[in-house]
Formats: sequence, structure tokens, C-alpha cells
Amino acid sequence: MSVNRHPNTQGVTIKQWRYTATGGETTLSGTDGFSQSLTYTPGAEEVFVNGVLLVRGTDYTASTGTTVVLNNALVAGDIATVSAPSVFNVANSIPSSTVTAKGDLLVANGSASLTNLAVGADGSTLVANSSSATGVAWAGPIATAGKNFVLNGGMDIWQRGTSVAFGTSTGYAADRWAGIAVSPSAQTVTRQPTSDTTNLPNIQYCARVQRNSGNTSTNGVYLYQSFETVNSIPLAGQKVVFSFWARVGANFSAASNNLSAYVYYGTGTDQQVLSGLTGQTTLIGQTVQATTGWVRYTGSGYVGTLPTTATQIAVGFQYNPTGTAGTNDYFEVTGVQLEIGSVATPFQRNSSTLQGELNACERYYERSTPGVAYGKYGQAYYNNSSSQVVCNVEFKTTKRVIPTSIDYANLRIQQNGIGALGTISAVSINIESTTKLADLTVTIGSGATNTLNPIELMNDNNTAGYLGFSAEL
Amino acid sequence: MENVTFLDVTQMDGTTKTFAIIDRGNGEFTSMPKADYEASTLPSELSTPTTPQAGA
Repeated sequence: MSVNRHPNTQGVTIKQWRYTATGGETTLSGTDGFSQSLTYTPGAEEVFVNGVLLVRGTDYTASTGTTVVLNNALVAGDIATVSAPSVFNVANSIPSSTVTAKGDLLVANGSASLTNLAVGADGSTLVANSSSATGVAWAGPIATAGKNFVLNGGMDIWQRGTSVAFGTSTGYAADRWAGIAVSPSAQTVTRQPTSDTTNLPNIQYCARVQRNSGNTSTNGVYLYQSFETVNSIPLAGQKVVFSFWARVGANFSAASNNLSAYVYYGTGTDQQVLSGLTGQTTLIGQTVQATTGWVRYTGSGYVGTLPTTATQIAVGFQYNPTGTAGTNDYFEVTGVQLEIGSVATPFQRNSSTLQGELNACERYYERSTPGVAYGKYGQAYYNNSSSQVVCNVEFKTTKRVIPTSIDYANLRIQQNGIGALGTISAVSINIESTTKLADLTVTIGSGATNTLNPIELMNDNNTAGYLGFSAEL
Repeated sequence: MENVTFLDVTQMDGTTKTFAIIDRGNGEFTSMPKADYEASTLPSELSTPTTPQAGA
């Protein structure tokens, strides 16, 4: 029989050969009563008679590996035992040189055969792969919708248009991304192609934040996103890592090409960082010397642990311009990601689909753009005045809160049988509105009549009309 | 150049609410309660991030 010497030395066993004498035997060999053949490595064997260990060379001779010759013959009933440990096979040990770098793994590539599997790329995942020689392979990273807490981090959604001038009040450009200019017409935010299929093959657009050519304002240029409290609390107490791609224009005027990136947190509720967060604290603050080529910025300096009391988070970018703006005094950012963990994984939108990303953004702002002349928004009603009608417009996406801000262009109120009713001087949202429906008062010059003729809110005779509702922070 | 006017609109409950109508040019307008407009034009200079920090 065989007995493992120790559970951690699976390759070393002790084989015991046991024989009951009939009397007169001086040679032990052959098969014992348990079908075990006598074999041993000379010099490693131990021979017992009735439990007494014999002395090699004095009491017996063992040189062949298959026979043991006793100096004294056995008597009937004696029990002779030969204990023979197996040879430890050095060839089956694993040399440490099999692995060559940190993160390498030992994997089987066949029966009793091991090989090295080099560590995978950051964020990759080990998956079973029957076509691989080792049966496993590095893949991924595994796409996980929702890992990125930044909405529209890929700058895909621009409901307000792909070129927006920041005014002197907080305004939005790409969906969820806000800025403010000290003076009107000082800054413009535009959607641009990343135009880099080598470094950013999976990110089509970026946001270009530009101080307009000739502008002399040296106040900060900002682009920030403030998270709603309900989307901030899941990160409270978590270690997070920030990452983004950035580059600057040839005339980027910041000293030393300094572009700053921040992650802030606060303890208020649904506040806009450009107006200040309650208890605003810097979690991550880095200034990079940006270049005209795309660089992904992340690393240990972009990791921080949020306190459990954090109820607001904001991320964003800024620079302090100098002198007079040249033609290309701008920075561009995209692939903005804030995720749980200490190592940034490849960029992924917050949602798994573009439509999902759009819907997530529409929680804060939605714009209807019929795109056709006389395209309609909703039915309107006479409001006891020839200069006012009321119109209900259902939202495509339920809003965060009841919208308070409306933007619009190229609209008209038209009553069947009469035509356009004057000129719209104001569209305002009424207190009867909900997060699902806007109740609007449209102020016109005159002409609305209390008849059964339907009244409608529609595009003017062009395709540029739109109607947007903001429930932003 | 933005041009802002204020307009009183009577609500269904009989109250009057003042709206800011911001003419952004090119036929584009934004409408919001006057109080919201005034709040958005007064960002907190103390809390607005203006000082780049060392690092990278």
C-alpha cells in the first residue's frame, strides 16, 4: 500500500511491503499479501521484522531494488515489512523562472503541464477560452454599464446645439456640462471630432472649450458637471478614480500650458458647483501641462476616497488664460470618467447605448426639434385673452424636477382658419406643470379667439425651430 | 449680445409670476423665473474653483 507522507508533499509517498513468514526465509521479494510488489531505492529502504527496525549492512543487504537478503532467517509467523519512500521527482517541481513579470500566472496547457500566462492589460479579465493553448485568455475589459458616474463623458449628446456661447449666467453646452463667462461672447464650446483613431478609436467626439479669438478676459475658463445628489450618494465612502483625455490648441494661453482637473464633493443637495456646493471640498485636484496631442490623464494622483457624508460630487476642468486670445486658445476634453476603484479602466459611457445616454441626459434637459417647417409641439387653448394661449407639451423623459427654464426659437401660434397669431413675445412655464408635462403660457401680440378652431404651437415656416425644457442643477 | 426683459404672467391660481425673457439673438430665447435668472448670474466667487493646484 502507499501512504502520503504529508498532504503538502503530494509527490513523496511511502510504499509498505509486508510479508508473513512461513519459516526459514532469508530473501524478501515478489508480491506481498496485498498485491504490492517489492521495489525500493537502495539506501532509502527501511526493513522491520515484527516491528523492530533492522540495521542496513548488519542485519540485511539491500542492493538490487527488488530483493532484501536477511542475515537471519525468519521463523514462521514473523512479519517482515519493507518501507520504501518514493523518489522525489525534481523534474516535476516548478522553477520560479517560469514566471517573468509581476502579475504572471501559472496555467495548465495540458495534463501535468504548466506554462506562464503573462499578465493582461489594465482592466482586462481572465476568461475561459477553449481555443487558447492554456484554456484561458485575457479579455475585455468587460463592459459594465453604469460604472462611469459621469453623464455624457464621451461628449456625444449636444441637444442645445454643437456650438454654444457661454453667457454671463451659468449655461450648458454639451448635455450636463456647464460653464459661465465673465463677459458675453467670451467663450464658445463646440463639439469636435477627436480625429485620432490610434489613441481614441472608440471615442468620436470631444468638447472644445475656447476663449474666443481676440478676447482679453483673463478670468477662468470652466467646464464642469455637477452630479445630482441621488447620483452622488452611491459613491459616498467609496474610493474613486478619475480619468479623462485632453489636449490643447496651438494658442492655448495658460501659463506652462496648465490645465486643471478637479473632483469636488459637498454636503448639500442638488447644487451647481459653479454657484458653489455646501461644504465644497477638493477630493482630486491636478494640474497637467497639456499638449496638442491627446493624452489620457489618470493614475494614483487621481484617486480619492469620498467621505460617507458626501451628498454632492462635481467634476470638471478649467484654465486661467493670459494675454489676448489667439485663434486656437482652447482645451479639448473627452472620455471623462469617474468610477469606483483605484485603477482607471477604459472609458465607457454611463449607459450601454447612445439612446440610454440621451435619456439619462433628458432627465435634466430635453429639446424638441421637429426639423420641419410648421412641425408641431402640442395643442394650445384660448386663455381668456387675445394675447395669450396655454399649451401643454408632454416630456419625452420624466424630469428631475419640474422645469423652470425654457429655451425656444422660431415658434408660432397658429389657429386653424386664421393662421399665425401675431408674434410670440414670451413662452413661460406655469405652476400647473409637472415632471411629466409642461403647461405653457405663450404670449402673443393679439389675435387669439375663443372659437372652436384648434390652436397649435408649432415651428414657424422654417426648420430651425425648437422648444427645450431645463431641469438642470 | 443678450437682451433681457421681464414679463409678468398671471398663473391659474390668480397669482402673478415674473419671468426673465433672455433674447440670445438669432431668434433664440430663454425663459425662466426672474429669481432663477438672478441666482444664475451671481455665482459664488469664493466657491467657484479658480485656483489650479499643483500635481500631475
